[in-house]
Amino acid sequence: MNRSMTRKSFVTSGGKAVIGASLAGSLLASCGGQEGGTGELTYWSGLEGAGPREYYKEHIEKPFEKANPGIDLKVQFQSPEDLDRTVRTALQGGEGPDLVPTPGPSFALEYIDANLFVELDDYAKQYGWQDKILGWALDSGRFQGKLYSVPTEFETMLLYYNKTLFEEKGWMPPKDREELESLAEEAQGQGIIPFSAGSADWRPTPEWFMTIFWNHYSGPDALYQALTGEVPWTDPVFVEAVDLHSRYFQNGWYGGSVEKFFSTGSDAYHTQLGDGKAAMNMEGSWFLLEVDNFFGQAAGNDNEWDWAPLPSLANGVPSQIFELGIGSTLSINRRSQVPDAAAKYINWLFSDPERAAQRMADVPAVFNIPIPLEREDFPSNMDPRVADVLATLSETTSKGNYGYTTWTFWPPKSDVFVYEGMEKVLTGEMEPAAYCAELNKIFQQELDEGEVPPIIERGAA
Amino acid sequence: MPAEQPVIEAAEERAVEQGRSPRKEVRRSPRQRKRALVAWIFMLPLVLVNLLVIVGPSIATIYYSFTEWSGIGPAEFVGLQNYRQMLTSGEFYGALLHNIIWTGIFLTVPIAMGLLGAFLLSQITRFQMLFRVVYFIPYVIASVVNASIWENLLDPERGIGPALTSIGIPFLDGVAFFGDPQLALPSVAFVDNWHWWGFVLVLFLTAMQSVDRELYDAAKVDGANRWHQFRHVTIPGIRPTLVFVMMMTIIWSLLVFDYIYIITQGGPAGATEVVATLMYKEAFARFEAGYAAALGLGMSFVSGLIVLIFVYLRRRGWEI
Repeated sequence: MNRSMTRKSFVTSGGKAVIGASLAGSLLASCGGQEGGTGELTYWSGLEGAGPREYYKEHIEKPFEKANPGIDLKVQFQSPEDLDRTVRTALQGGEGPDLVPTPGPSFALEYIDANLFVELDDYAKQYGWQDKILGWALDSGRFQGKLYSVPTEFETMLLYYNKTLFEEKGWMPPKDREELESLAEEAQGQGIIPFSAGSADWRPTPEWFMTIFWNHYSGPDALYQALTGEVPWTDPVFVEAVDLHSRYFQNGWYGGSVEKFFSTGSDAYHTQLGDGKAAMNMEGSWFLLEVDNFFGQAAGNDNEWDWAPLPSLANGVPSQIFELGIGSTLSINRRSQVPDAAAKYINWLFSDPERAAQRMADVPAVFNIPIPLEREDFPSNMDPRVADVLATLSETTSKGNYGYTTWTFWPPKSDVFVYEGMEKVLTGEMEPAAYCAELNKIFQQELDEGEVPPIIERGAA
Repeated sequence: MPAEQPVIEAAEERAVEQGRSPRKEVRRSPRQRKRALVAWIFMLPLVLVNLLVIVGPSIATIYYSFTEWSGIGPAEFVGLQNYRQMLTSGEFYGALLHNIIWTGIFLTVPIAMGLLGAFLLSQITRFQMLFRVVYFIPYVIASVVNASIWENLLDPERGIGPALTSIGIPFLDGVAFFGDPQLALPSVAFVDNWHWWGFVLVLFLTAMQSVDRELYDAAKVDGANRWHQFRHVTIPGIRPTLVFVMMMTIIWSLLVFDYIYIITQGGPAGATEVVATLMYKEAFARFEAGYAAALGLGMSFVSGLIVLIFVYLRRRGWEI
């Protein structure tokens, strides 16, 4: 289907363009690209930092081009904060790269509604993606039964802690709410911030915590019901989670105080964790990329870090739950002249588990693609803590113990309200019940308008 | 040409007295028409560029403000719904209130500082250029750099508060300037003012240097002290510059975006939300580009209204 549509557009444009040999030549070249899946393939990437960008060129761009002669992959790196806005402007103007990145399914949904992405079902069938990509991840890119995007980075929430500090104090990572609260009280009593946190350079930070409290207090089953419209967000199980979260903040457990939380940036609170001024940090798996910068010789301290699953915060909620999140997706631009080449790139990313595992080992978090991996699949040079995160996540979610991250599964306006409204709860301007009522109002409207991204059904992921 | 001048002036005066535009009363000679044509030919490239980058998008913005549009794909015409939403939105009025507070701050603090600084500098000759450069430097530094400097200086854990505490001056200890909803807006305004007031100072100083020195001498002969000289000679002498700065301050304050977006992104809890940051959020986070267009047009309307008021006052004979 994609191929015939592209041919049609080629014939149309070709008829208008027989005005010069050079133009005709370029059109023939693009024709060749369509037929053989070759040609210049453009991709805008939100990879940040010189290291990951250099790694991408050496370990993805060059091997891909070598494995696919005739495809010239042209990667343009952009600031991750600006990437979606740039993509949006380009697509609206009828331009944009062949391979279109988005920050997650709810962003992709906007483009799909505007008919800007190619349907990928034929490619998925041709390349057997259902066997290469985890089912939940592939499903997150399906809209109205059709596949339009593929996740290229998955995330989850973790409890990082200063292992050296914990050993000195004789503390153990908390396994339930009681242990968590008594540990926080003890740490605070000793002048140590229980949880390093701040939102000065990333205002949506409060949604990380709401993701945790709703999943670990309300539970993923309740969340699934709310996200599919079966129960409202005003249900007491959600209001109580907001209230508990707010009380932890009022205790000064996050960043020292609400005001300090709002004015502390990520470098500062990561340094607090590394230096032992803070004991723990509730953050996503993306922090695995830079956690080593704040511990040991690199940071000028002798401390070590480790991680633990976030504990259950209520009876009846499984003790080990990993929230599933998608940090980026990849789709094919409807206007691409080389959709086959673009599909080859997506397929190449997911085709060699050994190579994918090596990328995950070399650059933690950034290249975490959702493919089935066992503990023994990870290379020996991988940080055992990082390998443990990925293996535990895989094992746990395969049993159905997974939750939902707000930035992946909440529609856009609801997601913005989750963190902006939470600021009002934390500053005492809004009660938890009013917060949930307002969220419910926004969410129901978006649900009616079809803005809610696909929600992974309960069961083994 | 010189012979025509008194006639034109008389016509202008008559027209001003009658409250009408003076230009309508004047008949242009062929020579004047030719000169006007040449002027238009020179202006044409700029007019074309403006049509392309200002008028075109402006018309598109007007159109989109009447639609429900996510910023991508087709737009659905919804009439005045976006404007109704704007006029009934508490979030909009909250943001507008912050714009008004911001305007109030910038109509007083930097202008008072600029006037005082310029007057004092105008009294000295040695090192005047050095001070002008020093005060002007923050204006030429990128806003993101200025903001970053002050974010670090005012950090509650690593900034000047803890530094002063360590030497026994604890009054700023633990104060979260950008994290406390009560302090956030004035704190961001302080940072913006730090880069802005030096520019205002240089404008005022330039204007003051064009005031006739004999007026000061005459005032001294009449027994005027420094304050009287400032009040009765300097201020009237620089009034056009002062009014221009005030008008631009009002317009820029209504459109303020950069420092707020860089430092607090409108937070915490909306304490620094202004209409421009709200508009940005509607367009790029909530995907309500149609509503964002209505917000933008609303602010443009208010800015345009202010310019019209100034133009009207000028035509009524105000020396501004």
